Amino acid sequence: MIALEHISKRFGSCVALDDVSLTLSPGERLAVVGENGAGKSSLMNVLYGLYQPDVGQVRFGGETVRLSSPKDAVRRGIGMVHQHFALVPTLTVAENVMLGHEPLRRGLLDARAAREEVVRAAKAAGFALDPDATVGGLTVGSQQKVEILKALARGAKTLILDEPTAVLTPQEADELFASARALSEQGTSVVLISHKLAEVLAFATRIAVLRRGKLVRADLEPAKTSPAELAALMVGEGVALDVPTGSGVAAGAKEVLRLERLEAKGLARVSLTVRAGEVVGIAGVDGNGQRELAEVLTGARPWTAGTFTLLGQQRSALTPADCHALGIAHVPEDRLRDAVVKDLTVEENVALGRHGAAPNARGPWVDVAGRHANAVTLMEASDVRPREPLLRLGELSGGNQQKLVVGRELQGTPTLVVAVQPTRGLDLLAVAEVRRRLRQVADAGAGVLVVSLDLDEVRALADTIVVLAHGRVTGTFARGEADERELGRRMLAVSA
Amino acid sequence: MKNRLLAIAPSVLAVALAMLLGFVVVALTKGVSEAAGAFASMFAGAFGEPSRVDELGVFAFLRPWGESATKATLLTLTGLSVAVAFRVGLFNIGAQGQLVVGALVAALAGAHLALPAGLHAVVALGLAAVAGGAWASLAAWLKVRRGVHEVISTIMLNWVALRLVEGWLVPGPARAQVEGNNSINGTDQVLPGAELPNLFGESSRLNAGFLLAVGVALALLFFLQRSVRGFEWKVAGLNPHAAKAAGVPLERTVVQAMAVAGACAGLAGAVLVLGTEHRYPGTISAPWGFDGIAMALLGQGHPLGVLASAVWFGALRAGGTRLQLAGIHKSFPELIQGVALVLVAARAAWERLLARAVRRA
Repeated sequence: MIALEHISKRFGSCVALDDVSLTLSPGERLAVVGENGAGKSSLMNVLYGLYQPDVGQVRFGGETVRLSSPKDAVRRGIGMVHQHFALVPTLTVAENVMLGHEPLRRGLLDARAAREEVVRAAKAAGFALDPDATVGGLTVGSQQKVEILKALARGAKTLILDEPTAVLTPQEADELFASARALSEQGTSVVLISHKLAEVLAFATRIAVLRRGKLVRADLEPAKTSPAELAALMVGEGVALDVPTGSGVAAGAKEVLRLERLEAKGLARVSLTVRAGEVVGIAGVDGNGQRELAEVLTGARPWTAGTFTLLGQQRSALTPADCHALGIAHVPEDRLRDAVVKDLTVEENVALGRHGAAPNARGPWVDVAGRHANAVTLMEASDVRPREPLLRLGELSGGNQQKLVVGRELQGTPTLVVAVQPTRGLDLLAVAEVRRRLRQVADAGAGVLVVSLDLDEVRALADTIVVLAHGRVTGTFARGEADERELGRRMLAVSA
Repeated sequence: MKNRLLAIAPSVLAVALAMLLGFVVVALTKGVSEAAGAFASMFAGAFGEPSRVDELGVFAFLRPWGESATKATLLTLTGLSVAVAFRVGLFNIGAQGQLVVGALVAALAGAHLALPAGLHAVVALGLAAVAGGAWASLAAWLKVRRGVHEVISTIMLNWVALRLVEGWLVPGPARAQVEGNNSINGTDQVLPGAELPNLFGESSRLNAGFLLAVGVALALLFFLQRSVRGFEWKVAGLNPHAAKAAGVPLERTVVQAMAVAGACAGLAGAVLVLGTEHRYPGTISAPWGFDGIAMALLGQGHPLGVLASAVWFGALRAGGTRLQLAGIHKSFPELIQGVALVLVAARAAWERLLARAVRRA
């Protein structure tokens, strides 16, 4: 039995945790829910020894323990899988899992024993992982499994999963929860941190809700609560979370994008159209050509055959600069890599991409005042907090960074919006806001293409769903035409 | 303002601590009063001698300043060369080679072109900048077209430049034409019209080159902080993926930044030739280009930071010659520079100490 007692933690003037007490029994599946910044991760970081609480204590079976580093926590059987992985991309799965506690034989690394141990652990957890695959080449979903294996291989008896399904497909998520459930039945405690209420209700045996650093409830039973009640507890009463479905596509709306039998590395004979005012959702299991498609559409990947018609004009090539000129907005999957620069200020990041034109520049020179004013306007409109345009971007939370990227890309009048995983890792309010914005630009006449691994998101947003499997289009459905099972079959490319 | 002070603090503290360590070592080996005397004479040689104002008048300052400024000029220009490349994420180890090429072109243009005075100097400077830029562009071209890492190519191009210029051209085809039995190492003397004018006549070597270096630093500062292109360079240096997605042409950025870097180093060579040597000497003995790396790091890649460290260490070096009278090798200032560099590399430690101090205050 683990008990967190009266934990408080401040960062400067910000109270991250305010007198939070929580217990965890062996074999229990506890879900901790709350908005971004509610204190979920801070609380778990206290349990994992990353943060030392200002007030309060951690007890293991009645014994008060000082966890001064994750090492102490691991020794006590705590394992944590973070949202951001700590893997070495150039090493294999087996090497990553064994890193730091490699089995030795006569003082030398016993690579075979290590590999066998990893194979055994993977089997026990129900993961289909090639122990010899290089981690850098795996999908995000598989990389996460490697992280979980790492924790299990270190003897974790309590497993903390921080937003584990933010990056997974429904099938992968089901697999994950099935194996987590099996682990808990063998006595492992599992703590799930999540925004997704459906999975919380399906998985947990008990639900705790945090709001602004305070514990609101710790005793909710999934059978006796509902998504609506949870959402209300998380965000407070009376906050609108639903997304309008939009007016639909006007008959005879002009085509913004038409791909016909397009071939590129990772894509085969892809045909699809996006009309003005239409939201097209690309559904599929991670690694089935979604990334490649988004890259082709944003000028980062050349195509080798087929026709590419944009705004009525057939194109033979596309560069990122062309995209900016043509009004193609891009919300990339990995914002810190492709969309923003951590070490620039917020206002410089707002200007990025349009940095050479008014209001950000006057001729060859930066228009400092215009850039500042534009950033202030955008931060206001997109509710980016704190409203400090001169802050380093890296100081913003992930959710606020994403709001900034979405706001920046949808500024002006884009003709085509390519959004990849636009709500990954965001909290309920931010998700609703991003989806509303995407709907809004579509209603204003843009074509919107949303790639998401979250099937619920695709179904909630899209007027038309296009399913990709193995780089091919395996199905195209109008809103409401396809049920989840049918989509799942198409995503796995199995015939009914 | 407070942030800016905190940002430069690691460099300032590193230099101060290096000076202190240097003093302690001298004091331990020669005694405290000798060390104090040696440092006093070094500062006198660097910044001027108030005690000799009666005897020398204003030249008690102008002469040491001239010596300091000639060294500071070269350090500034090569430091800017490294700093500019660093802005786009490139490590220009090749400032020395670019300087050598620029110096030779300036010497040849200064000696063999027939142009009106003044204009002649400007043209020679311009050609040297172009030559240095072209030489550096070779490395950029290799990187863009062939994926050769610029550290490797610039180091190798240093040797190519050195052998080409000092191994063949200067002792060979470009060697000075001499009458009689006199033998001169180096190229022909540049024409008087191509020389950079001294600002205070014959008694101080302070020449227009220093103004040029300050001007280049200010121009680069303005360019990097206020121009769209400068912004693109910064983005390309910090996150090339985001730069590419934002439509910044990365290859062009690499080539342009390297060309500007090479031009700065080429100007350093030209100032050396047109300002003080007045010919390409047999060899350029001092590693100005490599010292530029130290200036860029101590100045944290900021043009004014580079200028400040170059002025300080240029002055110390000028004063360093006086140290010989105290029995200390004249390269002592370079030792201080090296120690400061090691200390500034320990930046993380400084920042932690500073953060703690700020919290307490």
